[in-house]
Amino acid sequence: MATKALSPGRTVNGRDQAERRLAVRMTAPALALMALVAAVPIGYAIWLSLNQYSVRTAGLSRFVGLENYVAALSSPEWWAAFGQTFLFAALSVSLELVLGTGMALLLNLAFKGRAVLRTVVLLPYAIVTVVSAITWQTMFQPNMGLVTNVLSALGLPGGDVVWLGEHGYAMAVIVLADVWKTTPFAALIILAGLQVISAETYEAAELDGASKWQTFVHITLPLLRPAIVLAAIFRTMDALRVFDLPFVLTRGANGTESMSMLAYTQLRENRLVGEGSALSILTFLTVMVVSVIYIRFAGGNIREAGKEEQ
Amino acid sequence: MTELRAGSPRRPRLIIAAAAAMAAGLLISGCGGGAAPQGADNAAAADPASGANASGSINVCGGKDASGIYKGTAEQFTKANGKVTAKYTEIGATTDEARTQTVQRLEGKSTECDIFLTDVIWTSEFASQGWLLDQTKLVESSKDRLIPSTVETTKYEDKYWASPFFTNAGLVYYQKDKVAKPETWQQLYAEAAKAPGNGYVYQGKQYEGLTVNFLEMLYSAGGEVLNDKGEVTIDSPETREVLEFMSNGLKDGSADRAVLTYNEDPTRLAYESGNFGYQRNWPHVYRLLNATPLAGSFGVAPLPAWEGGKASGVLGGWNLAISAHSTNQAGAVAFIDFATTPEWQKHVAMDYSQAPVNEAAYSDAAVLQKMPFATELLASVKGAKPRPVSPVYPQISQAIYKNVYAVLSGTASAEDAVKSMAEEINTAKASF
Repeated sequence: MATKALSPGRTVNGRDQAERRLAVRMTAPALALMALVAAVPIGYAIWLSLNQYSVRTAGLSRFVGLENYVAALSSPEWWAAFGQTFLFAALSVSLELVLGTGMALLLNLAFKGRAVLRTVVLLPYAIVTVVSAITWQTMFQPNMGLVTNVLSALGLPGGDVVWLGEHGYAMAVIVLADVWKTTPFAALIILAGLQVISAETYEAAELDGASKWQTFVHITLPLLRPAIVLAAIFRTMDALRVFDLPFVLTRGANGTESMSMLAYTQLRENRLVGEGSALSILTFLTVMVVSVIYIRFAGGNIREAGKEEQ
Repeated sequence: MTELRAGSPRRPRLIIAAAAAMAAGLLISGCGGGAAPQGADNAAAADPASGANASGSINVCGGKDASGIYKGTAEQFTKANGKVTAKYTEIGATTDEARTQTVQRLEGKSTECDIFLTDVIWTSEFASQGWLLDQTKLVESSKDRLIPSTVETTKYEDKYWASPFFTNAGLVYYQKDKVAKPETWQQLYAEAAKAPGNGYVYQGKQYEGLTVNFLEMLYSAGGEVLNDKGEVTIDSPETREVLEFMSNGLKDGSADRAVLTYNEDPTRLAYESGNFGYQRNWPHVYRLLNATPLAGSFGVAPLPAWEGGKASGVLGGWNLAISAHSTNQAGAVAFIDFATTPEWQKHVAMDYSQAPVNEAAYSDAAVLQKMPFATELLASVKGAKPRPVSPVYPQISQAIYKNVYAVLSGTASAEDAVKSMAEEINTAKASF
């Protein structure tokens, strides 16, 4: 009885299904590749984390279920590393976004040699983190480092501080090293966002008599939000997995051990494969949860901004 | 947005099938790594006689060659042997990195390296995993010419798993014009506190070196980590006393606070600036210091005694272990034979300023000329005790250096640190 009314719908459904099948076929190779490079190792790590592997007898293992997770979550080391990693991420990402925005605004100005400068500011990002970390370590070396020597010569405070030997100072050096390296990356993403804003918008603002500051606050910043959020997401993911900076600069001393370092110590130094894998998975889950939160709350901004632009 | 339309797509079935097959292949190879348990009991043994007929090439792998001894030994061996060619491959800038790289190769049954330079503290762990060739027969044949304590560092469960190459013991370097040769730690610290230029520098960074620096004092104060039965005995008045002593030394200026960031090289560099009176470091520093303006103005002393106690130290050094997966075991045996000969052991001291494992070398006239502190060094080597012997040594050491560091940096009291040290070592020992 309702066949007539439904029939047009059916054809649409039929087309939908055909399209869906096509979509599945077309994405299948990509999905298979993803499975190969992402899902398989992650699945294997999860399996490892549910077992204990003997450090006394090679090849001996036993299934322990969630024991490794319970042990990790009830250890003060994990929570200390968890807190310190978030502190590091919050400090470094916020500084990078502010400085990155400033840098992007400068690079967006029309001036001679802009193309060259755009390449030059990217240099710190091109340097391997371990190399730059060793450089920073040398510069902050007490008695003989460049920074400490310059500070003492100028009579400024900090010249006689053992920078990497105390919590607050050590964290400051780690944040500084990260900001120095990755601000250009944030700037580049934000610069891309700046270039999308049409010149007409600015012309209109100028005609209406808006000041530079008003233009920045009411036009540039809101339109830049999607780009800034994107940079924030990328940088936060990276910062929460930080390993090389504290590993080189402090070896995790003075409360600067990160989640990834903790996993590394268990996996590589102590060869506690099960325990270390559990820590890796916990780090992975932490980063994932943060990403989901970001996309849920800030992702809306990206979509909204996209609509506004249209 | 452009809408996707169903046209007449090519069928990517083949690709899907191929990708699925690849994924399955990876799964199988990834999960199929579980080998049958293999341990120290089933290890193959090196034949001491095989070295004489060896040929081909061998690869010796280890950490950064700071003194040049590894490359030098490989070159001289190749010249002397005539049939076997040896080369040295650096697989890590620091001891920790070298260990990680070594473990990776041994775990993966790599045939890249025939001989691994192994730190004396790695023997138990590597042997218990069945990664090394049993060298018992080889060591039995060379034992008579080697210092017994260095041979002991290659032992695990009554078998020898490596041959000692050179040993190591901490020394105190002091500026003769500013400070006196130290007899006791207390005297050294008191002297160091007297003037700003007299200060003491050592390895106080949070790493293995701090374990060594701490144990040197603990042993001389009569303390220990494990007793003869292997029970944890670190929770003792001696441990508290040493921790308080080290921590006070940083507060009253005897030792520079910068040591909290120093491992061996920064210690040496700081001392070379001429702003300090004492440094604790290894023998190879002698040669480096002699190439600086400080040459002639510094003295070398064995580690001092604890007041009312005796002098002691911690035995360091490097051994030569043959990989269980070496493809030229005979060549490796020949190399080890060469490295432990009394003749080459003299060069170990003369050319590289390292401590020989052959006792006669220390009284050799040519050695004494190049290494005037050889007598002090031998005394240090003979007085030194090993670090705790255990397959979970890395965890034991972490328990020590993390807690010692907490006391030195002022974030934990000696009392709390001693308790958690003992607790963490007990947990480590209970590892499956």
